[in-house]
Amino acid sequence: MNYRSLAFRLSLWYSLLLSATFALVGIGMFYGLQQYLRSSLRDSLRRRSAQVEQILDQSRPDISDAEISDAINTRVSPEFNNRFVRVTREPATLNYRSGPPADRSFDPKAVPPIAAEWLNSGVGRHTVTVPDQRLMVSATRIDTPSGRYLIELGSSLALIDALQDRLLTLLGLLLPALVVCAAGGGYLLVNWALRPVDRMSQTAEQMSIKNLEARLPVVPIGDALERLSLSLNHMLKRLRDSVQNSRRFLADASHELRTPLTVVKGELQEIVAGVSVQGAMRERIGSVLEEVARLEHLVSGLLALSRFDAGEAQLEWYEVDLAALGESTSEQMRLIAEDRGVELECSTLEPTVIRGDRGRLKQVIVNLLDNAIRFTSRGGSVAVRTARDDLYSILEVHDTGIGIPTAALPHIFERFFRVDEARSREDGGAGLGLSIAKSICSAHGAQIEVASEVGHGSCFRLVFPRPGTATSARVSARTNRSNAAVRYKPHIFSVARPPAAVSPGAASSASDVEAGRSSQPTSMP
Amino acid sequence: MRLLIVEDDRKLADFVARGLRAEGFAVDLAADGRAGRDHVDSYQYDLLILDLMLPLISGTELLRMVRRSNPTLPVLILTARDATDDKVKHFEAGADDYLTKPFDFAELVVRVKSLLRRTPVERTDVILVSNLEVNRLTRQVCRGGQNIELTGKEYALLEYLLSSPSRVFTRTMILEHVWDQSFEGVTNIVDVYVRHLRRKVDDPFPVKLIHTVRGVGYCVREAQQPAEAE
Repeated sequence: MNYRSLAFRLSLWYSLLLSATFALVGIGMFYGLQQYLRSSLRDSLRRRSAQVEQILDQSRPDISDAEISDAINTRVSPEFNNRFVRVTREPATLNYRSGPPADRSFDPKAVPPIAAEWLNSGVGRHTVTVPDQRLMVSATRIDTPSGRYLIELGSSLALIDALQDRLLTLLGLLLPALVVCAAGGGYLLVNWALRPVDRMSQTAEQMSIKNLEARLPVVPIGDALERLSLSLNHMLKRLRDSVQNSRRFLADASHELRTPLTVVKGELQEIVAGVSVQGAMRERIGSVLEEVARLEHLVSGLLALSRFDAGEAQLEWYEVDLAALGESTSEQMRLIAEDRGVELECSTLEPTVIRGDRGRLKQVIVNLLDNAIRFTSRGGSVAVRTARDDLYSILEVHDTGIGIPTAALPHIFERFFRVDEARSREDGGAGLGLSIAKSICSAHGAQIEVASEVGHGSCFRLVFPRPGTATSARVSARTNRSNAAVRYKPHIFSVARPPAAVSPGAASSASDVEAGRSSQPTSMP
Repeated sequence: MRLLIVEDDRKLADFVARGLRAEGFAVDLAADGRAGRDHVDSYQYDLLILDLMLPLISGTELLRMVRRSNPTLPVLILTARDATDDKVKHFEAGADDYLTKPFDFAELVVRVKSLLRRTPVERTDVILVSNLEVNRLTRQVCRGGQNIELTGKEYALLEYLLSSPSRVFTRTMILEHVWDQSFEGVTNIVDVYVRHLRRKVDDPFPVKLIHTVRGVGYCVREAQQPAEAE
C-alpha cells in the first residue's frame, strides 16, 4: 500500500475524525444515560421514602418498633423490591432495618450511617451513594409526634451498572468495527473516485509528439473531473494544432529556403565555371559560393534538428556493432588525422552490438572525431574506445586536445554555442554538430556525456542502454533523470563505467581528465 | 530527347531548363500541377522532372496520375523534403529518382542522363586523360608510363573525377559517391584526399590535371588555363 497516496491519507484522516466523533458520542451517551438512570432512581427513592414518612407521620406517639416494621413491610416490602430501609429515632435508636434483599445485591447490616456533617447541617433531604455496597441511599429527617426520625431508603445500583457495562461493551465493539468499515469503504471510495484520473494518466502516458490524436476518456458526470478531462483534451487539441502548424512551417520553410539556395548556388557555379569571369572576380564569387555552402549546411542542420524536435526523424533500426562502426569510421578519418599530425588510435575496441540507425550513429562518430582532430594540436592523439557491461554499451572519443573550459561544458550541446570566437573562425561550422549528435543519441535512448580539462583534453562518451535487457528502458529512463541533474559531475562516469572494460592506464587518465584534477598531461596508451 | 520540368519557382525552372538545354535537351516548362498534367497528356516526353510542392495539383498527386496514364515515363523528383519516409513514399508512388534541394546542377545532369540511359560514363576499361591512364579492370594508374600506387579511397576519388572529364564535381557529389552522407558538411575529408591524390598524380609532373574550382569543387582536365567552358 502506498502510504503517501491521496486515498490512504484521505481515509486515514477520515477515520481519525470518525473515531473522534464516535468517541465523543459514546462518552456523551454513557454519561448521559448514567445521569438519567440515577436521577430516575433518585426520584423513585424519594417516592418510597415519602411512603415511609407518611407511616411515621401518621403514627401514634407511642408507636412500637414492631408496628413500624409491620407498616413498612406491608406498604414498601423492601426485601422483595430489593430495597434498603432503615429508620432511626434520634438521637440513636434503631427502630427498623430491612433484611437482605431478594437479589442479595447488598448487605443491609454493612451500610454505614449517614455522614455526621449532613445531620448537623439542618437540610431536609440528602442522597448519597455508598460505594462499597453499590447502593444509592436517600436520607430524610422528619419530626413526628413520636419524635425525630431519620429515614434512610436505598436501592442497589447493580442494575444501572449492568446496563452501563452492556452499553460500554456494545460501544467498545461496535465503534471500532464501524471505524474500520468506514475507513476501508472510504479508501475504496476514494480509489474508485480517482480511477478516472488513473485512466486519464494512462492515456496521457501513451501520448507523444507523434501520437497527438489520442484523447483522454471523459467521464460524463458533470463534476471537476469531467471539466479537467475536457480542458485537458482542449489543450491537447491546441497542442496538436500547434505541432501541425510547426510541421507545416517546417516543410514550407525548407521549401522556401532551399529553392532559392539551389538557384543562387547553381547560377554562381555556372558563372564561376565560365570563361568570362577571371581573376579577383572569380575569387570573390568563389568566396560567396563557400558562404552559400555554409548556409546550405546550416539550413539542413536546422531542419534535421527541427525534425528531431518534432519527433519526425525516421530512424532505420538495425543491429550495429559499435566497435566495428568506430573502427571503420576511424579508418576513413585516419588521413585527416595524419594530415594534422594527430595520431588516431582505436585499439581498445570491445565488440558491443546495439540497435540503431547506422548512418546516423556514424554521423555522430564522424562529428566527434572531426572535433577531436580539429582541436588537437600536432603530436597529440585521438582515441576511440568501446566497452560494455550488463546495462550499457559505451563508445568514447578521447583526445589530448586543447580541452573545453569548465564554464562552457554545460552549454556545448546547445545550438549555435561556441566556446570562443577564435575557435568559431577556425571551425567554420555552424555550431550545430554537437546539438545534432545529442538529438541523434536521444532518438536512440542514449546519453552523450562530456568531460574535459583545458590543456589536457576532452572525452565524449555515448552511453547506450543494452538491447534485450528487460530493464534497459527503465534504467535508461532513470539515468536520463539523474543525468539531467548532475550530467557533468565526474561520478556519473564512474557509475556508468563498466568493470575492466577500459585498461587501467586509460581508466585513470580518463577519470583524471573527467575529475579535472590531472597533475600531468593525460597519456593515451 | 524532350524533357518536362514541372516547377512553380520560375527562377529555378529557368535555371534548370537553361542548363539542360545547354546539355542538348529540349525542355518544356510547366508552372503548376494542372499545366504539368496537360503537358504530359499532350506530348510523349522522355523524362519528367517534378517538384512536389505545386499549386493546383500537388506533385504527389500528379505523380500518381502520370503513373496511371504512362507507367514507363521516367520521373525525377525535385524536393525540399529530405525525410526518408518521404522518399520511400514517393518511390512507392512510382518515382524513379529523387533529388533534394539544394542540389548541384552537375548532379542533376548525371541523374537525368542515367535515367535516360545516356550515361556519359566512359564504358571503356581504360580512361585516358592527357598522359594519365587509369585501368578500371586492374585498378592500375600510371602517368607517363610511370606506375602510381593509390589507396582504395584515392583510387575511388580519381575514378569518380575521371567519370566525366572536364566536369566540375562538387564536394557534396564527391562525398556522396566516394564516402557517404555521414561526412556531409562536417569534415574537409574531400580536400584532404584530393591533396593526397595530387601529391601522387600531379606533383611529380609539370602539367597539372586536377583543378580546384573555388567554391564549387574539383575537376580533372587536360587544359592548363583555369577556366574553360564545359
